Amino acid sequence: MMQLVIFLALAVGLLVLLLMAMRRQPSHAAGSAGELVTAKKTLESLQLGLLPAELVDQIFGERDLTYVGTIGSNEIRSLFLSERKRLALTWIRRVREQVRALKDFHVSRSRMFTQMSRWRELSLAFDFAGLEGRCRVLQLLLLWRGPYAAPGFARRTAATAGRVCSTLDQSLAFLTPSIPVSLASESDADGSMV
Amino acid sequence: MAAKAKRPDVLAASEDLRKRTLTHTSGSLDCMIYLASMRDYNTGLYVHQGLAARFSPEAASEALADCHRECFQELTSLELKDLTEQLDLYMRSTGSAPHDFLRAWRDLEPYRVAVPVGTDSLMAQFLFSNLKIALAILEHQTLRVPEPAPVA
Repeated sequence: MMQLVIFLALAVGLLVLLLMAMRRQPSHAAGSAGELVTAKKTLESLQLGLLPAELVDQIFGERDLTYVGTIGSNEIRSLFLSERKRLALTWIRRVREQVRALKDFHVSRSRMFTQMSRWRELSLAFDFAGLEGRCRVLQLLLLWRGPYAAPGFARRTAATAGRVCSTLDQSLAFLTPSIPVSLASESDADGSMV
Repeated sequence: MAAKAKRPDVLAASEDLRKRTLTHTSGSLDCMIYLASMRDYNTGLYVHQGLAARFSPEAASEALADCHRECFQELTSLELKDLTEQLDLYMRSTGSAPHDFLRAWRDLEPYRVAVPVGTDSLMAQFLFSNLKIALAILEHQTLRVPEPAPVA
């Protein structure tokens, strides 16, 4: 009789554990499609919208400042500096937000999908930490000393962010559809694809 | 990111638009303002009767949207000096008195509704900011130009 009670207690205990396991959100374990697509969009927004060297050069480059200097008006120079400061701060705030979003995504989900080596994981963790610090320092420099406080530092920050993005991009590469070369070459004379 | 494949009729319509119409504009700014004026405020679709008759309304609308995006990209890649020159050219091409034009653009900021749909907000802010400075520069230069001396 005693053995039956023990077996029943064990069975109930296992059933409770099973129910608890079933209550867990499966999407959190596997990573939902929505989260992956959002992460991919954040990556694209950073790589194509915020980090291209041309944009960084336009915001932090001194060619426009030199031109404004030739106009010979302090009022216009002040307007220019305040506008560039506002833009530079918007840029760094958005880079910071998106890098943080990517870090959160990577920490919580994307390692389920990638074969990243421990060395690469460690290097990425250092890059994320360094990038957060760089963004904060750049933000403070821009606030304190204006848009031309540290153009070289801004470029290096963008380059580091670009490197982190390309590492993450490789782990999300399965979301980018690829057209086989054999299909791509099979086009009609009028240019329509097979 | 791979560019989305364009339909051949859209590509042909874009080419036609560039050759027949956009070559007559004074620059990227003129081009952007012109193409924005082709857009229906209520639907966001572009309307061009001639192009639609030659191709199709859908192809024409897409071609206009493509050219609009191109003009915007060209404008945002300009240095401030070149943008100021473009604004000056555009101002002269309108035939308005410089003072009236500069006041209207400063107060109404019509360029804010002239950007293509789906533009990155930072890029739009960048262009608006540069146009604001270019307007201030033109205003400064216009005020500095001495009035012609009255004939005795």
